[in-house]
Amino acid sequence: MKFVEDNPNRITSAEIVVGIPSLNEADLISFPTQQADRGLVKHYPGKTAVIVNVDNNSPDNTHHVFMETRTETPKIYISTEEGVTGKGNNLKNLFEKALELEAKAVVVIDADLKSISPMWIRNLAEPLFDGYDFVAPLYIRHKYDFTVTNSIAYPLTRALYGRRVRQPIGGDVAFSGAVTRSFVESNIWNEAIAHFGIDAWMTTNAVKTHGSIIQSFMGRPKVHKNRDIDSQVGLIFEDVVGTIFELMLHYDSFWKDVRWSRPTAVFGFGLGDIEVPPPVDVDTHALWNKFVSGVRGKWDVYSAALERENLNKLEEVMDIPAMGFEFPTGLWAKLVYDFAVAYKGASLDRTELIRGLIPLHYGKTLSFVIETEAMNNQQVEEFIEDQCLQFEKTKPYLLDRWG
Amino acid sequence: MPKILIVDDEEGIRMLYSMELQDDGYDVITLPDGNGLIEVIEKECPDCVIMDIKMKEFNGLDLLQQIRKRYYDLPVILNSAYSSFKVDLKSVAADYYVVKSSDLTELKEKLKLALETKIP
Repeated sequence: MKFVEDNPNRITSAEIVVGIPSLNEADLISFPTQQADRGLVKHYPGKTAVIVNVDNNSPDNTHHVFMETRTETPKIYISTEEGVTGKGNNLKNLFEKALELEAKAVVVIDADLKSISPMWIRNLAEPLFDGYDFVAPLYIRHKYDFTVTNSIAYPLTRALYGRRVRQPIGGDVAFSGAVTRSFVESNIWNEAIAHFGIDAWMTTNAVKTHGSIIQSFMGRPKVHKNRDIDSQVGLIFEDVVGTIFELMLHYDSFWKDVRWSRPTAVFGFGLGDIEVPPPVDVDTHALWNKFVSGVRGKWDVYSAALERENLNKLEEVMDIPAMGFEFPTGLWAKLVYDFAVAYKGASLDRTELIRGLIPLHYGKTLSFVIETEAMNNQQVEEFIEDQCLQFEKTKPYLLDRWG
Repeated sequence: MPKILIVDDEEGIRMLYSMELQDDGYDVITLPDGNGLIEVIEKECPDCVIMDIKMKEFNGLDLLQQIRKRYYDLPVILNSAYSSFKVDLKSVAADYYVVKSSDLTELKEKLKLALETKIP
């Protein structure tokens, strides 16, 4: 797929590759590039390294800004052809380039990161030199940041594959040369994976194929472009959920045998004071409206996808007033499992089906916001753990319906 | 019969847990602290470790990291009188965290889950 490559230093091999996927990040890409460079110079002076910007031919000239950023580490720019977008497409180019460079460690960081420090490079790469194959990030995040992770991506992937990876779509990850090769050789690919489904795809493939996974504590909260709940959902929900459902089709012989879940080890302690993540604005009134109007508008999807008993329970939830609203997690898990089964059945258009889950996600998010309003981060984590356990306890329902 | 290793510096806790778990059909071995922990795991091959955190000369969270380095998938349940250690990220590496109580219902429930867990 590779289209344009700018490799002024003619780099042909590198032990460490830091990849930065982008689309129109000219304003922000210099900072993570500089931090990656400092991390490589400070922590890996004896290893060959390169920083690769894998871009979607950004019209804002991300290419120029990246290549003009001063670094000691050599840089390569690679772009998809004009008109081809998607984070997944960018990372596919990165996987192929890293394999060509015979990289032992590949680190991926987001181009809009504002809180990355050189230590992130060390914390992501170091476990790979200690025998681990895949490193997922562990950040302190605001309780309302990335609701897609808390309400569906984490509990669902954990219940399916049995490994507790707290940020399965975290974005900043690292993997070994062996995992890079398995990514290149995978034949599971679609439009959702080619866009924002790629993070769920990488984590799931790593969990399913390679046992040695670790989470690395980044120390600082992930601060990137400001996005409220609505814009985050609009940006990633369909791709992430579509990818998880798609992978369920391919890996059912694996996940059907998984029972409960195991923890994933953590790397990177003693990083000083833990910083407080920036707040995320929540408009509960807007969440309520999106839930109620969305569910009413998509009732035909629910009638076709949900079991009768769950449809009745959803009607009950619709009757609960906004003040004191609650969306039981046991019901939420069953609805998600019903949607996965409907995705498999393919009697409904799959894109429309996944869009039908979005209003329910808004309802679950509203419930989460109300229930966790007075909780600190630790209490919220325990609350989320309990939700995950309910997904695990409800899994026999999925197994029964999946067939 | 699943073998459970209990690591706790309180003799009363070791005795109580041993009796209760043996009554439930488990084979139980105990250690009063982290001395020789890895060697005992190596020799006895327990199916699960139930471990205190605040012990005189040992910290259960550090011992957990030692266990994880060698036994990535050995179930470990942290069992402390304090809930405050939950904020320590090292506790993430445990299968479960149960606050000590005279009622062992939750501990037994989590032990059952830990032993039933299966990943192909």
